[in-house]
Amino acid sequence: MKRIIFTLLYGDGAFHLSRNFRLQRIGDADWLERNYDFSRVGFAIDELVVLDVSRGVRSPEDFAATLIRTTRSCFAPVAAGGGVRSVDDARRLLRSGADKVVVNTATAEDPGLVADLARAFGAQCVVASVDAVRTEAGPVAVVDRGGREVGPLRAHLERIGSLPVGELLLTAVDRDGTGQGLDLGLLNEVPASVRCPVILSGGIGYSSHIHEGLTDPRVDAVATANLLNFVGDGLERARSETRDHGSHVAHFDADEARRLAGAAAATAGA
Amino acid sequence: MAPRVVVVDYGMGNLTSVRHALEYLGAKVEPTDDPRRLGGARLAILPGVGSFRAAMHNLHERRFVDALRDFVGDPSRRLLGICLGMQLLCASSTEDAPTEGLGLLDVPVTRFPEDPSGRLKVPHVGFAAVRPGLGSALLPEAHGPADFYFVHSFRVDPDGCPGVVGRARHGRDFVAMVEQGNVAGTQFHPEKSQSSGLRLLARWLTDAA
Repeated sequence: MKRIIFTLLYGDGAFHLSRNFRLQRIGDADWLERNYDFSRVGFAIDELVVLDVSRGVRSPEDFAATLIRTTRSCFAPVAAGGGVRSVDDARRLLRSGADKVVVNTATAEDPGLVADLARAFGAQCVVASVDAVRTEAGPVAVVDRGGREVGPLRAHLERIGSLPVGELLLTAVDRDGTGQGLDLGLLNEVPASVRCPVILSGGIGYSSHIHEGLTDPRVDAVATANLLNFVGDGLERARSETRDHGSHVAHFDADEARRLAGAAAATAGA
Repeated sequence: MAPRVVVVDYGMGNLTSVRHALEYLGAKVEPTDDPRRLGGARLAILPGVGSFRAAMHNLHERRFVDALRDFVGDPSRRLLGICLGMQLLCASSTEDAPTEGLGLLDVPVTRFPEDPSGRLKVPHVGFAAVRPGLGSALLPEAHGPADFYFVHSFRVDPDGCPGVVGRARHGRDFVAMVEQGNVAGTQFHPEKSQSSGLRLLARWLTDAA
């Protein structure tokens, strides 16, 4: 089955929107629920990704607390990352509601950590995140939220192919937050040595971008962080459109999930 | 009144998401590493992520093995094993080295066979359709297949397994859910399976109320 993933960007005490990796602060968890009815979005996704994109000094405790809070009413697999520099960092996230850990900079600069994570938690628990920027010389991989180039995208993905990771999250920085559609061309840079599922991200603005992406046989999942375009039942509609276009995605009933809140206590009390 | 559920904490994997799902449904959740707490409970969940051998070691060390066997001896009590928790209910597993399980379900747990073509990946990760059978109240046949989230490398073969109430496919069929009397197990994670999982947990909680 293919997957539709939602990404939340958290940093310095608030959630953010991102455009070409430039962040715009929007509000805290309460704000997210009040303004975006986030629990409804959460009932319509195959997976939630929560990333710590803090620019200043990271507070792992604060991020862990936010993760617990954000995942309290999310009953789907959760991947979390941002600033994972040790097995203990990863363990903290796994104890705070995450099922998988996302690593980005470490895939370029500390492959030993990736191996350690796979040994401690299993390769299926490790998601390699790769951020790609198109240049005149071809696509390159960048780390530290686009801050530093680490070489041609293809060469970096070859490196990923030799690491024990369960998934590849490939993000087009140029498309990020633009709503112009996914950069399917980046998939041409994914070498055969990358045998894990590929999540493509960056550029989803409409539900048509979601099903276009999922129709590509090289794409296992798509991810969007676009809160504005998928408020309320936007992702539910995208799921049904995806199914209409022939891609196989799991069937969830967001309304039923909402109705079930407190259901066991109510029945038991009756 | 909120149903009370004891969640067995034996140091394998995190209990947070199981707890959140049960609380969302209105249950009162008591995680415990003390087997005596099972004594006063009617509902218990055995969660778990990790290795079967390490898990059994921890269950022995914390004296949960006899406590869980005693617990299910009373038919008014109900035990639900989730993922590794379901496997631990079984007679044995070949993970790491042959290891004896709780033996509440008389079936072995074995690894998915190697696929020479390499197309079939192990671990099996992701949402998969579960086809109900046997008309369980927890997974009614009338509702048809439902999608649940799996992460596992080992599984129970449905051939010769009594009480299979749900099957899923990864190359071949495997047991997605089993129910024998007051003991039930899901190979999938209901707490990570959106409305499908919440519905199942709500039924388990209220069936037992």
